[in-house]
Amino acid sequence: MALVSLRSCGRRGFHLGLSAYVTRPVGTPRKREQQDDTPVFQYVGQHRKPQGKVFVWGYTGALGIPSFVVPDSGRKKPRKYQLTPYHLDTEQKISSAACGYGFTLLASNSRDLTKLWGMGLKKDSQLGFQRTQHDRYKSYDYVLEASPVSLPLVNPQETRVLQVSCGRAHSLVLTDSEGVFSMGNNAYGQRGRKIVEDEVYRFVLQQYKSSVACGQDHSLFLTDRGSVNACGWGADGQTGLGYHNKASCPVPVGGDLAGVKVQQVATYGDCSLAVSTDGHVFGWGNSEYLQLASVTEATQISSPRLLALRGVGRGRQAACGVTQVAVLNEEGEVFVWGFGILGRGPKLSESAIPERLPATFFGRSESNPTVKVSSIRCGLNHFAAITDRGELFVWGKNMRGCLGIGKHDQYFPWRVTVPGHVTDVARGVDHMVALVRSII
Amino acid sequence: MTSQAVRLFRKMDGLFAVYKPQGVHWKHVRDSIESNLLKALNSCPPPAPQLAVQFQLLSGGENSSSKDVVLSPSMVPTLADHPLVTGPQFHKVHVGVGHRLDAFSSGVLVLGVGKGNGVLEHLCKSHVTRDYTLEGEFGKATDNFTHTGRVIEKTTYDHVTLDKLERVLAMIQGANQKALIMYSQVDLHTQEAYELAVRGLLYPHGKSPPILTGLRCIHFNPPHFTLEVQCVNETQKYLRKLIHEVGLELRTSAVCSGVRRTRDGPFKVENALTRQHWTAGSIIQAIAHFSKATRKIRKSEMYKQTAGQLNSNAQVQEQTRSQTEQINQQHVELSSSTSDTVVDRETPVTLSEGRTKH
Repeated sequence: MALVSLRSCGRRGFHLGLSAYVTRPVGTPRKREQQDDTPVFQYVGQHRKPQGKVFVWGYTGALGIPSFVVPDSGRKKPRKYQLTPYHLDTEQKISSAACGYGFTLLASNSRDLTKLWGMGLKKDSQLGFQRTQHDRYKSYDYVLEASPVSLPLVNPQETRVLQVSCGRAHSLVLTDSEGVFSMGNNAYGQRGRKIVEDEVYRFVLQQYKSSVACGQDHSLFLTDRGSVNACGWGADGQTGLGYHNKASCPVPVGGDLAGVKVQQVATYGDCSLAVSTDGHVFGWGNSEYLQLASVTEATQISSPRLLALRGVGRGRQAACGVTQVAVLNEEGEVFVWGFGILGRGPKLSESAIPERLPATFFGRSESNPTVKVSSIRCGLNHFAAITDRGELFVWGKNMRGCLGIGKHDQYFPWRVTVPGHVTDVARGVDHMVALVRSII
Repeated sequence: MTSQAVRLFRKMDGLFAVYKPQGVHWKHVRDSIESNLLKALNSCPPPAPQLAVQFQLLSGGENSSSKDVVLSPSMVPTLADHPLVTGPQFHKVHVGVGHRLDAFSSGVLVLGVGKGNGVLEHLCKSHVTRDYTLEGEFGKATDNFTHTGRVIEKTTYDHVTLDKLERVLAMIQGANQKALIMYSQVDLHTQEAYELAVRGLLYPHGKSPPILTGLRCIHFNPPHFTLEVQCVNETQKYLRKLIHEVGLELRTSAVCSGVRRTRDGPFKVENALTRQHWTAGSIIQAIAHFSKATRKIRKSEMYKQTAGQLNSNAQVQEQTRSQTEQINQQHVELSSSTSDTVVDRETPVTLSEGRTKH
């Protein structure tokens, strides 16, 4: 009886009592009578592949986690900012994400009927149309959880969504066989449609599009032949069409870009950049913050000009913010210029010529000399860089926790701690979405 | 004229390194070193006994007639300094221990003798890095993270490959590198902090949790694997827990089967004395060997003390970091295997930052 009760109070209690009287020299193994009976657990199979995950941080309205805004338990309080990466549960593997001004779009590369999810503000229908419960003809003003966005596809079970892009109040969805879909505000023709009314509208362009980029109120389309089309608000010349009016239909961009094969376009605010296949960088649009000061002293350029950037070498990718720009070259080095927190300390707040960021910030040291930056993104007032080791570095102004490292601004690149390898990051005004591949 | 024992005692001033075997408490090592030194000191031949003049009543001898007792002076040894009267000359030698090693671990243990004890304190305060070799074994988890503990859980490990292990180690290093800068106690919003960060001179100052400055896998043969770690401010239990956490990250479990310190600041394992050499002669040779390193440590501490009163925090950082680098420079050389693993600075602790409730 006594023995049974001793066992029932747990092995730990028994063990503690024993060690009070018996001392054992260190290093000798204990008796292993029960060793062979211990069950072996298998947590992961032999052929497990890394999974894709989504991490979000920043202003909580657009993150797609309803319990931050409307707490689901009495003890929780509504949170305004999520300062560090938070895992977002998604039904499918997300292949592309984009952040706009207060809303987010997630797209998966699958052939299922639901390929697109949106959350955040949708006052301008930038996330499509979701019927409310009360009224069939009204849509919600904002959505707290990732809700499916329906696209009027001809072959919904064949078409895949390749890329999404979001601007201030409009979004563009690029599919592989059915062209580009645009949603949201069309006051300036940024959706490439005649300025009539706002609802989901589809248009097909002659040439196959390989990527889309949304500025604040304008859109840029890159075709697979390397030419760039633009539409939307053009008062700062950001459409690059040579005039400062609105363009309501996508028009090919000329200037220095005529005949040049472009591999990537980037825009966010009112300045746009394009990188050609041979590494030259072209820019047009707003230059109030010295983004294009290498070719002009005017505050706007309305048609693309080749930027003579000394010391940059062959460009591979460009990224534009509102007041600052960044270029990544073939060797994996990052050059920044413009106005704001550029990443070289608090003293450097303005530069007209490209400044290189030392590679030591991105993890390069004597034990890893070959770390390079593989992609660079620019948000409103901040930068994000992904190295080839899968680490994400951010710097710039920390608007409502959008950097994911706390509350303060960051004057030089700083690692964001995410459990996995970051493959892509989508930046917005005050929130960011990272697509992460797990380690195991 | 100083005696041989005193001369020997005066040579015993400085720092040296000893190889502590596994399973032995560090106090026993220190005690046996001290008793060996005392044995050597007390077994030195005593000096010639002091003589004093004593008037003794001796028989006259040949000069005077027989049976005449004369008072005559003679030199007679005094017994005041006889060892049987005074006892052994030395009964205490100050032997201090630097960074301690617990009983399960083995490796370099730095000891200081005599005046070296003061320098030992400076060594402890300076943030020199230490190198460890950790042996791990996948497949089980125990209560004290070692292979001799009580088994709590057994798991499969056939899915673990070197590639996955290296990815986990790289992630741990990334987090540690952040911690290195975070605990440097320099205001990160200043231009000086930026300048220091560019040159890699930001380093933990004052109190900090254990931070790994280097981590890589040098041997992988499932279930056994070996990690090489460079760390600052650590304990051996923390390193065993590191092995356990590496196992958790790989969705299996791991225990530590050996912790071996291969370097403590400038004291390398090649120059550490093994048990046969714990004699006074070898110790004095070792002290002479390390005298240069000892001098450097003493100088760097003196600089820190004077500099701290004058310059700003960031400048002190910079100078002390370069001093620590110099102290470490004498030995920094990871083992020559050609692994390409990125080994940066990282802490397992901060991995929980991005975790959620899954």
